[in-house]
Amino acid sequence: MPPARWYVFHGIGGRVIKRLLAGVAAAGVLGGLGFLYYAWYPPIAPIERPNPASFSAEQIERGRIVAAEGYCAECHTRTDNGGGPELAGDYKMDTPFGAIYSSNITPDVEMGIGAWSEEAFRRAMHLGVSRKGAHLIPAFPYDHFTKMTDQDISDLYAYIMTRPAVHMSRRPNELPFPLSLRILQAGWKLLYLRPGVYKPDPRHDALWNRGAYLAEGNAHCGACHTPRDLMGAEKKGSAYEGAVVDNWIAPALNEHNPTPTTWTEDELYQYLRFGVAPLHGPAGGPMSPVPHRFLSTVPEEDVHAIAHYFADVDHAAEREKNDKAALARAMEESKTDLIGPNVDPDAKLYQGACAACHYNAAPTPVLGRPDLALNNALWLDEPTNLYQVMLRGLTAEEGQSGVAMPSFYNALSDKDMARIAAYLRRTRTTLPPWTNLEKKAAEVRKTVQPVPVNSSH
Amino acid sequence: MIKFKLNGRDVSVDVPEDTPLLWALRDDLDQTGTKFGCGVGQCGACTVLVGGRATRSCITPISSIEGADVTTIEGLHPEGKHPVQEAWKDIQVPQCGYCQSGQIMQAVSLLKDYPDPTDEQIDGVMGGSLCRCMTYVRIRKAIKKAAAAMQKEEASHG
Amino acid sequence: MGKLERIAARQDRAAGRGPTRRGFLLTAMGSAFMFGFARQGNAAQVYPQAAANLPAGGAFEPTIWCSIAPDGWVNVNVIRAEMGQHVGTALARIIADEMEADWDKVKITYVDTDPKWGLMVTGGSWSVWMTWDQFRQAGAAARTVMVDEGARLLGVAPSACIARNGQVIAGKRSISYGEIVSRAHPTRTFTPDEMAKLPLKPSSEHRLIGREVKALDIPSKTDGTAIYGIDAKLEGMVYARPKMPPTRYGSKVVSVDDTEAKKVKGYIRYIVLDDPSNTVPGWVAVLASSYPAAIRATDALKVTWTPGKTANVTEQDIIEYGRKQIAEKTGGSRIFNDAGVDEALGKADKVVERTYTCSSVLHYQLEPMNALARQHEGKWEVHCGNQWQTLFLPVIAKALQVPESDVVMRSYLLGGGFGRRLNGDYAVPAALISKALGGKPVKLVFTRSDDVLFDSIRSPSIQTVRAGVNKDGSINGWEHHASAGWPTGVMAAAFMEKGEDGKPYDQFAIAGADHWYDVGPILVRALDNDLADATFRPGWLRSVSSGWTPWAHESFLDELAHDYGKDPVDFRLGLLTCKGRNAGSAPNSVGGASRQANVLKKLVEKCGYGKVSLPKDTAIGIATTFGQERNMPTWTAGAAQVHVDRETGVVTCQKIWLVLDAGTIIDPDGALAQTEGGALWGLSMALFEGTEIENGNVRDRNLNTYTPLRITDVPDMDIEFLPSTEKPMGLGEPGVTTIAPAIGNAIFNAVGVRMRHLPVRPADILKALKEKGNA
Ligand code: FES
Ligand code: FES
Repeated sequence: MPPARWYVFHGIGGRVIKRLLAGVAAAGVLGGLGFLYYAWYPPIAPIERPNPASFSAEQIERGRIVAAEGYCAECHTRTDNGGGPELAGDYKMDTPFGAIYSSNITPDVEMGIGAWSEEAFRRAMHLGVSRKGAHLIPAFPYDHFTKMTDQDISDLYAYIMTRPAVHMSRRPNELPFPLSLRILQAGWKLLYLRPGVYKPDPRHDALWNRGAYLAEGNAHCGACHTPRDLMGAEKKGSAYEGAVVDNWIAPALNEHNPTPTTWTEDELYQYLRFGVAPLHGPAGGPMSPVPHRFLSTVPEEDVHAIAHYFADVDHAAEREKNDKAALARAMEESKTDLIGPNVDPDAKLYQGACAACHYNAAPTPVLGRPDLALNNALWLDEPTNLYQVMLRGLTAEEGQSGVAMPSFYNALSDKDMARIAAYLRRTRTTLPPWTNLEKKAAEVRKTVQPVPVNSSH
Repeated sequence: MIKFKLNGRDVSVDVPEDTPLLWALRDDLDQTGTKFGCGVGQCGACTVLVGGRATRSCITPISSIEGADVTTIEGLHPEGKHPVQEAWKDIQVPQCGYCQSGQIMQAVSLLKDYPDPTDEQIDGVMGGSLCRCMTYVRIRKAIKKAAAAMQKEEASHG
Repeated sequence: MGKLERIAARQDRAAGRGPTRRGFLLTAMGSAFMFGFARQGNAAQVYPQAAANLPAGGAFEPTIWCSIAPDGWVNVNVIRAEMGQHVGTALARIIADEMEADWDKVKITYVDTDPKWGLMVTGGSWSVWMTWDQFRQAGAAARTVMVDEGARLLGVAPSACIARNGQVIAGKRSISYGEIVSRAHPTRTFTPDEMAKLPLKPSSEHRLIGREVKALDIPSKTDGTAIYGIDAKLEGMVYARPKMPPTRYGSKVVSVDDTEAKKVKGYIRYIVLDDPSNTVPGWVAVLASSYPAAIRATDALKVTWTPGKTANVTEQDIIEYGRKQIAEKTGGSRIFNDAGVDEALGKADKVVERTYTCSSVLHYQLEPMNALARQHEGKWEVHCGNQWQTLFLPVIAKALQVPESDVVMRSYLLGGGFGRRLNGDYAVPAALISKALGGKPVKLVFTRSDDVLFDSIRSPSIQTVRAGVNKDGSINGWEHHASAGWPTGVMAAAFMEKGEDGKPYDQFAIAGADHWYDVGPILVRALDNDLADATFRPGWLRSVSSGWTPWAHESFLDELAHDYGKDPVDFRLGLLTCKGRNAGSAPNSVGGASRQANVLKKLVEKCGYGKVSLPKDTAIGIATTFGQERNMPTWTAGAAQVHVDRETGVVTCQKIWLVLDAGTIIDPDGALAQTEGGALWGLSMALFEGTEIENGNVRDRNLNTYTPLRITDVPDMDIEFLPSTEKPMGLGEPGVTTIAPAIGNAIFNAVGVRMRHLPVRPADILKALKEKGNA
């Protein structure tokens, strides 16, 4: 992990939880006695920590892959206060009601889950209930994990139980009463949890089903990319429509994804595997760890499967035929105002600050020159992601490996950012202008803490 | 302690994470060939290569290049004889010279992306590098000369 | 005596350096300079600076300007600042050519300040012009000794020898300069009289002058080894950044709160500067152990000031102030004050009057201001690049309250000058901070915004030109009134010239208006815009007033030509009669206005002005000037082809032609480089850059809103120097002078609207087109 990066405080879990809790509170009031009955789960007896030697090397390796495909370490490892041991929890998720902290899932008997039997572990994954019978906050996306096969959960168990036990407690959650009542989670579940392992769709081939199994289940893509309703649950009819999560936009993954060229299977694969797609550019922000920390370490076929699945979700096959024209148009737009004399102050600002790295010439962008005319950031409904990336930049570990984008936090004022955003939207897209750009720049700026770079005007 | 590769050598610097790469290079690692011009990413004087790509070091936090490969003007060629440097001398590009490290680094990355650059491509990539002495005519000439030299070299190796 | 030489003489007298003008002293053996070069390049800065006054290792040093070492290397001491003009190369070439040195064994040293050098100033495109005779004599002295001693060693008569390429040759035998020095240990020196009598080579014998040679300073500028002021580093130094007060003058610190600054790791302290020289009134400096910490802590430091009186001044206020000055008949200084101007205008058929304005311009030299200061072995040392050391030292001395002899400047390369570093104000705070720290080394670096706020900008200006015109379009009298801030008045008042009315004036705020046209009796009046002077510190900026006075008179002449149906070229040629004061005189302006007419004719031939047919809304405009100064004329004619987009108001300059007669060209490629740079500056100031005073400060602080010309904006250029064997004139600036008026005239030719304000912005064009359409 790079030190002190943005996702220290705004990881995947943090983004989800914020919108969940409102729903949790509402669901609670629906409760009654019957509900209490429904909500009650018995504790499962503690066990001795399993002997690591009792698991086969093959099973542990399979478990490692499952863990990577579910990004466990992302939310179960502290990143603030200098970071913490992997899987030992205490990862801070900010919510409007106060911070909550993820739990230690190392096999420490007292602080972690060392006393959990495989049965208890499976129940947690499938039903969101702790060994002792408490309902887990759905920041832990068991609505997805419920789809995982017993075999995968068993492998994951083997992997986790063979990790070093870390005797470390997490900080107490700061949720106020009544949100702190675990029972409230049950009401939410009653409404939204549909338990059950993924069932292959016979209309599709094995690769597709493998992709769907991963995406819907362990990889929990919808947790960020599907909009949530007032209760904080993923809207069923709107799968992968895209959503706003903690000052970033998780773009639509279906046919409503607005980029001019399609997310084809290959674009998706490159992006998920290496963190950069030739046409769509690098993975930034919260998406960045997905390829770099996780999907680059799993079997290639699994990443292909996810890519294959989403290429179907976004109807790439039908939409792809327009790509050639879209690409040609983008390459024309890419050089707008950059060739020959120009006195437009906004064009000059773009030329000075951005173009040396983002200019492209036909026929196709150079890898490492993310073309803004093709990039999500300009085509989304709001400039949020554009601003986030301008303010934060990208580390060498994020996006395209080994290359970095500077942070314009101190280099561009809100007004300057607004000028660039308006200019690019006007000259590199066919969409209507964004509004209130300066104010939005200020809002996104507030979310960027600490200040990434110590420069000054 | 941030570790990275500088001009082919492993280095580590003990500076705060938000330190701009520029100042770590200049003040902590004694590579003063990289210059401070505008400090806001808009003049190109501070351009270095990170992972082979031209990067404005004045606003790049040192923490973000952890583990990366950084090349400064000093490391372009052991004797300062990279084809771009040679062309720069032949065409007598520099005046005050202050922008030229950045110009050269930017040109090197231009030629990597566009080995035989057109005027348009030169405009597109070099437009971010300000030369207050206005040596632009010669920069354009030298880029073309370097491109020709590099292609010849390539051809003789290939 | 040239202007600069007069300045020099005056300055030498003031500094008690006696009558030996410009320190053309012969040195005693043993006081030679060390000419070490730390790195490969022959003109790298030594890093860290080698101490001065080390023994010369048996080198022969006939004058303080050059020496020959036993290994054959020739060193040339350069007292000019290197800021891109390759001045060291140009100057070394003069000496080397005359001494017949081997160019591959020539190196240059940019020396530290020392009284023996005399006036140390680099500006006004003077360097070559003012060193020409001196350096040729110095070279001749060295050559004479080499030939005499070489002949002796070869056992032949000196007359049987020739010197070539670092060798003395007699028939088939030869001996190198290095060997001569190591074997003969020559010690001969020359008196000024002896020097003046030495035979100089005729120009036909020049082997380096006028030929292509590689500039000595270039290699180190391509591999990162060139050392600029900002690269200076000393053991134990701390970093500082200024906290800029709200007004340039008169701000007073009320309170300072460093609560937030203290949270920055590396923050040391702040210092409220106490400046007896009043260079940096109301300044607070922030110290830290690293520069990024200084940056952050300065941003975090809270200072409350009572601002000075100019806190609300705007550009418009300054222009209006100047307009009033011009409207007053009295005031200002009369540079030309011919009898009978009033009568002539009174008799004319018509008095045509036009007013022209120019915006403030930033230097934006690419290396932000910086200086490293410390007290070392009893002296105050300032490490930095500077263009006018002789002006700078007394100011530092005053700030530190020590005698000038206690201050020394260690010279570094300049990351751009353009006149900004003629003014050494930026070193004052560094010295004051070091003093507050008991002489500890401190490096002060301005961020770009700090630099811009502290810039000595090119003052906004307003000019009114008035001519009495007869029915046939002939001119029978002329007035030119110009109001602007006066850099020399503010920074070096003693060096101001006196007008024909005996009143002092800033030659750098009017030069260019004193043109070579024959237009009857002339009044040229320079007015010091006190409001400008009070609001900011006006500066000298590339081509100084000649960057804007021609905007007035060359636009005006074009207006007259069009009004009276005359061809603008013929009209001008008709005025370049080369009579009276415009006949020219030796040595500087031999040929006078006829040479200006020549460059104009050549220009027209090249660009096809009036002959070529161009697409719609596209046209060529021309202008002609004499470069910088009447006493150092570089005859210049420029043309610009522009296209005007009637929809957007955008003016695109497609091509520039320049023809110059600068006398002998020492370094053709360098001359071309300087002229290219100058022309593009001219274009930049005409169409791309310019700022305004708002609330007592410049509005633009960095490249987010200040938009100087970039590579994409460069038009085709065709530059030609007329061959000449006359005395060489300057070339650093003349390229600038004709461009703006040529563009203004081209715009008129293209779409029929007359622009009278610089820079020309699309909105102004649209407005003018609309007015014209309505008319
Ligand atoms: S100093 Fe970094 S871009 Fe100008
Ligand atoms: S050579 Fe001086 S800024 Fe480019």
